[in-house]
Amino acid sequence: MLEISDLQRRFDGRPVLRSVSMRLEPGEYVAITGESGVGKSTLLNLIAGLDRPDGGRLALDGADYGDLDEDSLTRLRRDKLGFVFQAFHILPHLTLRQNVVLPLWLKGRKGPQADREADRLLDAVGLADRADSWPRELSGGEMQRVAIARALVHAPRLILADEPTGNLDPSNAAKVLTLLAERIRASGAMGILVTHSPEAARSADRVLHLTPEGLSA
Amino acid sequence: MTLAPVFLGSLARRRTATLFSFVAILLGVALGMAVQAVNQAALSEFGRGMRTMAGAADLQVVGPRGGFDEGLYATLAARSEVAQASPVLEMRTERIGSADGLRILGIDLFAAGPVTPALLPRPAEIQDGSDRDTRLAALAEDSLFLSMAAREALQVDPGDRIQVHAEDRTLTLRVAGDLPGAPDDPRLAVMDIAAVQKHFSRIGRLTRIDLRLAGGQDAQTARAALEPLLPAGLMLEVPEAAVDQAANLSRAYRVNLTMLAAIALVTGGFLVFSAQALSVVRRHTELAFLRAIGLARRQLFLWLLAEGALVGLLGGLAGVALGHGIALGLLTLLGGDLGAGFFSGLSPTLRFSPWASAAYVLLGIGAGVAGAWLPAREAAAVAPARALKSGDDSALSGGRGVPMLSLAMLTASLPACFIPPIQGLPLGGYLAIACLLAGAVMLLPTLASMLARTLPLRGPVPARLAAARLAAAPGQSVIAATGVLASVALVAAMAIMVGSFRDSVDVWLGQILPADLYLRAGRAQSAGSLDEALQARLGKIPGVARVQFTAFESLRLEPGRAPVELLARPVSPDGDGLPLVGSARPAAKGETQIWISEAMRDLYGWRPGERVLIPLAGDEVAVQVAGVWRDYARQGGAIMMDLADYRRLTGDASVQTAAIWLAPGADGIRVGEALKSTSDSGALEVAFPGEIRERSLTIFDRTFVVTYVLEAAAVVIGLAGVAASFAALTAARRREFGMLRHLGLTRRQIGAMLALEGTLAAGVGVLGGLAAGGAISLILIEVVNRQSFHWSMDLHLPWASLLWFAGLLVALAGLAAILAGRQAMREDALLAVREDW
Amino acid sequence: MHRRTCLLALAGLPLTRLLAADEPAAESTAREVVFAPVLPGRTLVFPDDEGAHPEFRTEWWYVTGWLDLPDGRPLGFQVTFFRVRTGIGEDNPSAFAPRQLILAHAAIADPELGRLRHDQRAARSGFGRAGFSTGRAGVWLGDWSFEQIGDGYRARVDAEDFGYDLAFLPDGPPLLNGQEGFSLKAPGRDNASYYYSRPQLTVEGRLTLDGHRQSVAGRAWMDHEWSSAYIPEGADGWDWVGLNLDDGGAIMAFRMRRTDGGKLWASATLRSPDGSAEHLSLEAVEFEPLRSWKSPRTGIEYPVEWRLSLGTRRFTLRPLMDDQELESRRSTGTIYWEGAMRLLENGREIGRGYLEMTGYGERIQVG
Repeated sequence: MLEISDLQRRFDGRPVLRSVSMRLEPGEYVAITGESGVGKSTLLNLIAGLDRPDGGRLALDGADYGDLDEDSLTRLRRDKLGFVFQAFHILPHLTLRQNVVLPLWLKGRKGPQADREADRLLDAVGLADRADSWPRELSGGEMQRVAIARALVHAPRLILADEPTGNLDPSNAAKVLTLLAERIRASGAMGILVTHSPEAARSADRVLHLTPEGLSA
Repeated sequence: MTLAPVFLGSLARRRTATLFSFVAILLGVALGMAVQAVNQAALSEFGRGMRTMAGAADLQVVGPRGGFDEGLYATLAARSEVAQASPVLEMRTERIGSADGLRILGIDLFAAGPVTPALLPRPAEIQDGSDRDTRLAALAEDSLFLSMAAREALQVDPGDRIQVHAEDRTLTLRVAGDLPGAPDDPRLAVMDIAAVQKHFSRIGRLTRIDLRLAGGQDAQTARAALEPLLPAGLMLEVPEAAVDQAANLSRAYRVNLTMLAAIALVTGGFLVFSAQALSVVRRHTELAFLRAIGLARRQLFLWLLAEGALVGLLGGLAGVALGHGIALGLLTLLGGDLGAGFFSGLSPTLRFSPWASAAYVLLGIGAGVAGAWLPAREAAAVAPARALKSGDDSALSGGRGVPMLSLAMLTASLPACFIPPIQGLPLGGYLAIACLLAGAVMLLPTLASMLARTLPLRGPVPARLAAARLAAAPGQSVIAATGVLASVALVAAMAIMVGSFRDSVDVWLGQILPADLYLRAGRAQSAGSLDEALQARLGKIPGVARVQFTAFESLRLEPGRAPVELLARPVSPDGDGLPLVGSARPAAKGETQIWISEAMRDLYGWRPGERVLIPLAGDEVAVQVAGVWRDYARQGGAIMMDLADYRRLTGDASVQTAAIWLAPGADGIRVGEALKSTSDSGALEVAFPGEIRERSLTIFDRTFVVTYVLEAAAVVIGLAGVAASFAALTAARRREFGMLRHLGLTRRQIGAMLALEGTLAAGVGVLGGLAAGGAISLILIEVVNRQSFHWSMDLHLPWASLLWFAGLLVALAGLAAILAGRQAMREDALLAVREDW
Repeated sequence: MHRRTCLLALAGLPLTRLLAADEPAAESTAREVVFAPVLPGRTLVFPDDEGAHPEFRTEWWYVTGWLDLPDGRPLGFQVTFFRVRTGIGEDNPSAFAPRQLILAHAAIADPELGRLRHDQRAARSGFGRAGFSTGRAGVWLGDWSFEQIGDGYRARVDAEDFGYDLAFLPDGPPLLNGQEGFSLKAPGRDNASYYYSRPQLTVEGRLTLDGHRQSVAGRAWMDHEWSSAYIPEGADGWDWVGLNLDDGGAIMAFRMRRTDGGKLWASATLRSPDGSAEHLSLEAVEFEPLRSWKSPRTGIEYPVEWRLSLGTRRFTLRPLMDDQELESRRSTGTIYWEGAMRLLENGREIGRGYLEMTGYGERIQVG
């Protein structure tokens, strides 16, 4: 369960987020949309623990993490969060399996067991037969499928997807969105999809709009 | 190690840059290792030789090369502290007609047995089966016993006869056997002491007494009891002291070479720095992503350091291997003396030292880690959220100079020059060089940006763009320039120092070799003296206008210190004709005056005008220091005195060399022949100053062979740095090029821009390097050389070659930049840009 | 005469077989060195002839004897000083010129140890390190010395694991061997030496064994011999005895052995208790081995018990201990046997002395 209440963030004294509140039940997948500059990325960074709020509360499964130190936040991200980025961030010098298994490596898990987990996820995104390929052989859609597998491999509690289809053509975008939603639901984790595209937002269970006043359905 | 593929794998992705860093570290480590291995081999061989010589001796009485009265032997042998005293008379001579040096030890085999058993001769059986010659061979007056190595070097067998210089005569000796205990020294020969005294006109003289102390006597107590018995100028030394002296004499030279290798290593560190810095920039978002998915800041830092460490480790391992290879080559080519002559005549064998090798591998790792430190710290400090979003390369930091700190470093190098030598090592000088180099490198960005700002923003677009980039974001280009600066500084410093040195030596040779001809009895100063009768004969030879004689002796002034050379020859009262340093302070009439070399001034603290005591012929003699002269030949110190004074004080009329001025119109070659014929055929040698000078300069150049190797390495490293940095830079700027191409710049124009950027960056590096190198050369000349070798030299700037070198380097840097750019633009730049949309 | 063996052992490695030279070492000396010849008819004069004769090639002072420890235990001892004129460096002004060498050798036969303790030294004379006196007995090498003190002698030895300082007092005038001191070694006149003995020397002094010093007393024998000759042609080794009889008499006997083991030459001197001496020549002297002992070190068999026939008298010689072999293979390769003996006549011990046997391993290359 993710609880956000009265979250505030200012940059150079200028308020970017005034008061944002939301609640995400286990297994729930929401999309957040909004105009450019309204603070979508700021909110996502706060939820991801990459930034710290100036006020309000952030709690994952009942544990506050709004004012944790950097090391604790790093641990939180490593253990409980999964990420899907617009720019994929697939490491070019690792094979697909290695890219997917990376979060497990960060948790100190290495070996056949970890590789099997990665292979299971690669299978789930339809790339099982290419586990030993290199990223340069992939299309953008395939890259993002690898990224989805990577976001889920360590069984995180919360998946954060930031414009995951921003670099993809429409047909690929649709497939990736469907896959993302399907995998998040299958894993039982919560999911937050940040996008400026209403079409993309529809792939989530519900859609929230971020405005300067806050989040609304 | 779970994340090893993520980080270390990225090294494989940027092979070129990694390779250059690797090569730079490899060269630095290899050169350092080679110097260390060669010197260690030489020292241990020297030490082994000394131990063979010293055998079981607890103490040795040593003195001037001319020896001392043998009466001391009877005195010491009778002392209860002494279990056995073994008298030695050592003569250095050569085989007639060749340069094969021989060190003949005259020993009393009955006394040597218990002290130095390795020196006992073994008479060879005579082939015809009769025992005739073998029985008393060890005592016979014409018997010479050679080590196996000497037999091989001289290519003689038992029963053969060889001719050697003995005074101004030819001495024919029979090879009577070998020295089973000392097979390795290629110059070692043993004869009966009485025969040596007779043949070399040293009746009543010894050069050494080896003492084995009675059981229960400790060396300290015995030394205290025996020392008062010694006449002036004789010392009691533990045998190891000779090894220490050799180590000390060669140490400064060795440390200097090692420091040069260290500079190569530092350059390697710079390359790692530039490669890592650029790689970190390129991996900006990648690293941010890793941070986002849960990689801790510290882990990131450590892994980035590990990348540098891996390059350092590989470079270190390969460097140690290559270093041993180079050492093997140097030992084969030059013997153990690295060209400096401290260990000439040794044939050391290379031994692998695991500790030294491990230390050099560690140095390689250290260079890698040091180079990776700053980029790693910067990368770890970046906030992942921003880096993830921006996704561009403009977030370069570290490009700003730190002018205050760098000025402080530069200033700090000045007082460091005034630190006196520590244990004979010019550590202050090295510190000053380090400060200077570090300061110059840190000042480079500021310097570059100031320089670029002064460039007029005019001309073709590529030029404007290049200048603007250097002015606004000097960081990237400067990273490339640091390697250039370090290597140019090294090359310039060495070139100026060696140039000044060679020039000064050349001038000095002219000053100390003023005559037309030089005559001596063999090359070895101890064996070949010209007696009075011969001296008189020389002056009467037709064509000889003037003859001036020089006597050589060596004196022991302080225990533990190497002997000091004494040269006695006619010297004018005001020191005219000597290569004086500073002004002379001639002594009052009636005083005996001496002229000391710079080393004497530094090592013994003697000053002009001071009255000092020197041991001559067993007595302390009071003399006055009249002035300081420059001497590049005797690092342990030299004293010059007037020959008449020397003869008056020692009663010794023999001399070792004669300088001859020809009468007008006389033919040098013919007079030389006439001079030679005044004694046994082959016993006298005539040399022309031109030959001596040429030989000296050849030796000089050989001495600096190693430094030339280092310079070449520095140039390679510098160029590698430029090439690697630009390759990395241009690769990182693909999008910028794409954008510029979109705006309408042609490939050619972008190429020109890159070439200009490369030239500018290299130019800044070269300028900085020349300035730093000039300053470092001053430190080398005025601090390092003075403190290490105690000689001064006149500054001589090899302008032409420096400019030529600088120009070449700048041109090559431009070329490297173009090549790197061509590589980057081979991919379609237009496409690269689209990624951003 | 015979005991030149020791020279080998003492000379140190390079001097191996020094005295085997059958002519002076060639070419090393500027001119031929002439050694003084040994001629018959010379009258030995005392004490002058007790001193050194440096013009001759070799000379030695050789002391052997029996000592009693305070607890009554018997020991044998031996000390020898050799002087050798090398013929080298006769015209060399160097003080180190090796014209005269001094060699010394000392041994203790201790039945409790079961083998010999021995030590040796060598030096060229000069610098006070080694030298000899003329006119009276006196020869020294470092702190080892043998010298005339009043009517007697004194020997001092300080070796690695033993040492002694002994005074010797004779009971009468020197005993001249051969023809009034002219002692032939072979048929003909060319191989001879000047040779006298001092039997029945009363010994008093101190002995140090393994650092333990004690007073000792006993009886000894001193030989002084000098010559310029080498070992006779055809001789392979020799056997020699010097024996002090309990009744005050003394026996010196030697034989030169041929290669086939036969007798090349033999001679003996018998002194009766009243001091009168009798010279026995070749036919009257017989050495007959009774029992052999094989050295475990060298494998050489030595006859350690002998029947000695002098004229009509028959004696038996028995060793203080079997192993009195002197093995210096490591330094010189010379091996011989020299040890303390008991003299028996009719099964009863009538005296004690020393036996030297050389040439049992290989042909001795010495005198």
